[in-house]
Amino acid sequence: MPASSDPPMDEQVVVTATLPAGVALHARPAADLVRAASRLPVPVTVAANGKRANARSILEVLALGAIGGTELTLIASGPGADDAVRTLAEVVASLGA
Amino acid sequence: MNPSADPAHVGLVLVSHSRRLVEGLAELVGQVAGPGVTIRAIGGAVDGSLGTDADRVLEAMQAAATEPGAVVLMDLGSSVLAVNAALEDLADEQRAWLAVGDAPLVEGAISAGVLASTGATLAEVAQAAEEARDARKL
Repeated sequence: MPASSDPPMDEQVVVTATLPAGVALHARPAADLVRAASRLPVPVTVAANGKRANARSILEVLALGAIGGTELTLIASGPGADDAVRTLAEVVASLGA
Repeated sequence: MNPSADPAHVGLVLVSHSRRLVEGLAELVGQVAGPGVTIRAIGGAVDGSLGTDADRVLEAMQAAATEPGAVVLMDLGSSVLAVNAALEDLADEQRAWLAVGDAPLVEGAISAGVLASTGATLAEVAQAAEEARDARKL
């Protein structure tokens, strides 16, 4: 991927990340994701199973009902969005490790 | 309670009519929030039956009323009355470190506990608890 400058304010950055097999977004993995999202400078939306969640909200993330192997879509916009979604995608891939 | 908890994190005081209910909740919240969040679980009457022990509620709230603060969540009825009565018995400088959350007990405690584990402030953790009122499960 080429070095990218921050996108314009309204432009969304979207990446996908797949939950490791056998790692559902239940209690501890979901909390790990929320803690990582809380450290990011921009809010990230997680979409899966036709639902969307604020990645900083444990209850919304739990309500996604995402089981192991589910592809999550991570969405952010504005300055820092690119780094934020890529950081969170790495966290998703490493959950349960 | 988890005495090894990090005082840099906002804590939780959970009040229920049932000792078993609130101890189970503390176990669940402790698992998702991790060991850094102090959880004080107060449930049941003096004799261990279902009810509220106002003295123990007050003791727990006094112990929790230090920097960086704690969010107090309760189930229903006399638990709410006991928390309100305890607030009145606290000094102003203690009361400032407590935020009573108007939230569903289980969902509010999990939401607040996870946010507390990020090092969030008392106001932020209290808001996370209250956001649980509107969170949909399905």
